Amino acid sequence: MSYRYVAGRLVQSLVLIGLVVSTAFVLIHVAPGDPVTYLYGGQAVSGDALARIRHAWGLDRPLWTQYTVYMGNMLRGDLGYSQINFQPVAAILGESLPNTLLLMIPSVLLAAVAGIVLGMTAARRPGTGADYAIGAVSLVSYATPPFWLSVIFIVVFASRLHWFPTQGMATLGATGGGLARVADVTWHMVLPLGVLAWWYSASFTRLTRAAVLEESRKYYLMTARMKGLSEFRVFYRHALRNAMRSVVTVLGVQLGTMFAGAVMTEIVFAWPGTGRVIYTAILQHDYPVVLGFFLVVGAAVILANLAVDVAYAIIDPRIRYA
Amino acid sequence: MPFAALVVLALVGAVGALAPAILPRDPNAMTGDTLSAISAAHPFGADYLGRDVLTRMAYGIKTSFIAGLAVAAIAMSAGLTCGLVAGYYGGWVEHLLMRTADALLILPGFFLALIVAFLFGGRLITVIMLLGLTGWPQIARIARAEVLSLKATEFVESARAAGASNARIVFREILPNALPPVLALMALLVSYGILSEASLSFLGVGDPNVISLGGMLSNGLQYATTAWWVPTFPGAAIFVLVLLLNIVGDGLSMALNPALTVASPGRSDR
Repeated sequence: MSYRYVAGRLVQSLVLIGLVVSTAFVLIHVAPGDPVTYLYGGQAVSGDALARIRHAWGLDRPLWTQYTVYMGNMLRGDLGYSQINFQPVAAILGESLPNTLLLMIPSVLLAAVAGIVLGMTAARRPGTGADYAIGAVSLVSYATPPFWLSVIFIVVFASRLHWFPTQGMATLGATGGGLARVADVTWHMVLPLGVLAWWYSASFTRLTRAAVLEESRKYYLMTARMKGLSEFRVFYRHALRNAMRSVVTVLGVQLGTMFAGAVMTEIVFAWPGTGRVIYTAILQHDYPVVLGFFLVVGAAVILANLAVDVAYAIIDPRIRYA
Repeated sequence: MPFAALVVLALVGAVGALAPAILPRDPNAMTGDTLSAISAAHPFGADYLGRDVLTRMAYGIKTSFIAGLAVAAIAMSAGLTCGLVAGYYGGWVEHLLMRTADALLILPGFFLALIVAFLFGGRLITVIMLLGLTGWPQIARIARAEVLSLKATEFVESARAAGASNARIVFREILPNALPPVLALMALLVSYGILSEASLSFLGVGDPNVISLGGMLSNGLQYATTAWWVPTFPGAAIFVLVLLLNIVGDGLSMALNPALTVASPGRSDR
């Protein structure tokens, strides 16, 4: 593996995260109004008192000092304090993020398996009925807004058929621990997971099909065939392995969009993840929480991209830092 | 198929554009038919304030079209300009523009738009500008790659030999030839604009004074189990618009970028 490449990407990612945090800082200061006016503006607080609060919070210090303090806090993982929920932002997000991941990771895995199999099936028989059918399905799932499919699922499977609960992550007042709890959460998870897996699978299908088709022109596959390998081995062992590189790279770029889909699905299902947090924070104008959410998602997406690239630099010696 | 989709899109767009003229109702008029089910008076039902869902949807579709087309236009012109300049001039200009594009590609553009719309108030024009400016990097990269290969061609060489200015070479010689692969993305950009505007409105940072399909869906969410038509029909409209645009997009890329979609054994780029 190329250490130069990995080091280069690492520095680039750190600079990007620094940029995201700085952007947040600049945005807060450029945005109309300041937090003090926002929190106390409507109340009968004297201008004198407002100035004292500003002073106590350091809002009267030079911008550069505020910036260094802000960056220092971020480095220590202090994302600020929500004056509306009376909780540190990091705690609010830390509580909800695992629930988002609990929903997102199985959805991505399910979508990956389904999408790769479908994309592979289509790529092995380009131009046939199966290819067109798979193409049509992925076109539809690609176009389905996750928040709308969530509504449909609730209307059909929860409200009409009563197969699944309409919302939440657990039955209210349920006391059972252990396996009963796992079963309850799984039961609540089926619909949102289905929505996300359906939506994510389109990207996997389309990317796999395109990447495998691209590979199928190359000579090494002909070599594999001439060695007498079965078509299954040729495609699933040789072509897929090389095709996965571009699939995973593109998915790294789409991670932000995938997260956005999860956020909106959570909102419809009242799933207690980051989606609910951001939705409520927007309604309540809870600035620190909205900003903290932006920082965490930004950093997560940048780091995930870094992880993907580094993993490939280790696997594939051809990659060099450009 | 793509052509049929384009025709349907044009029809839907015309309905949206003409909505104020052809629809009898005021989209904000509250009737007594609160949460009225599907009926002759309300073909798609009425919402929690008794407003006609079909009428509001027509206005929402209009917003979607405005947002989608404007976002695509901004992303397209910004991306083309940056890509052409970067590819043609090279050097530090290229470095600066392309590193910015790379950074924006990795950053979750949707969330950047979300945060800015939240802090500054999401007027439709703000939302459009934001989404347009987060959508350009992809276009810039493709345009730059095209310019790099076109720069070395004989016709550019001969234009330069004939004494053409840089601007003339870029806009008259290179641009027309660099357009096809970029235009293939047009439909996808429009659908990005429509879906993102709907999503921002759904999250509550859209323009409160404009009827948006995403906002309608979000407002109807709490009636999903009691009055399913309130959130379902606006969402269906988003779905249909995005689906049609993707069909058009596939058609465009097949027509303009045949190398990307057809796998012909024996091509030289191994």
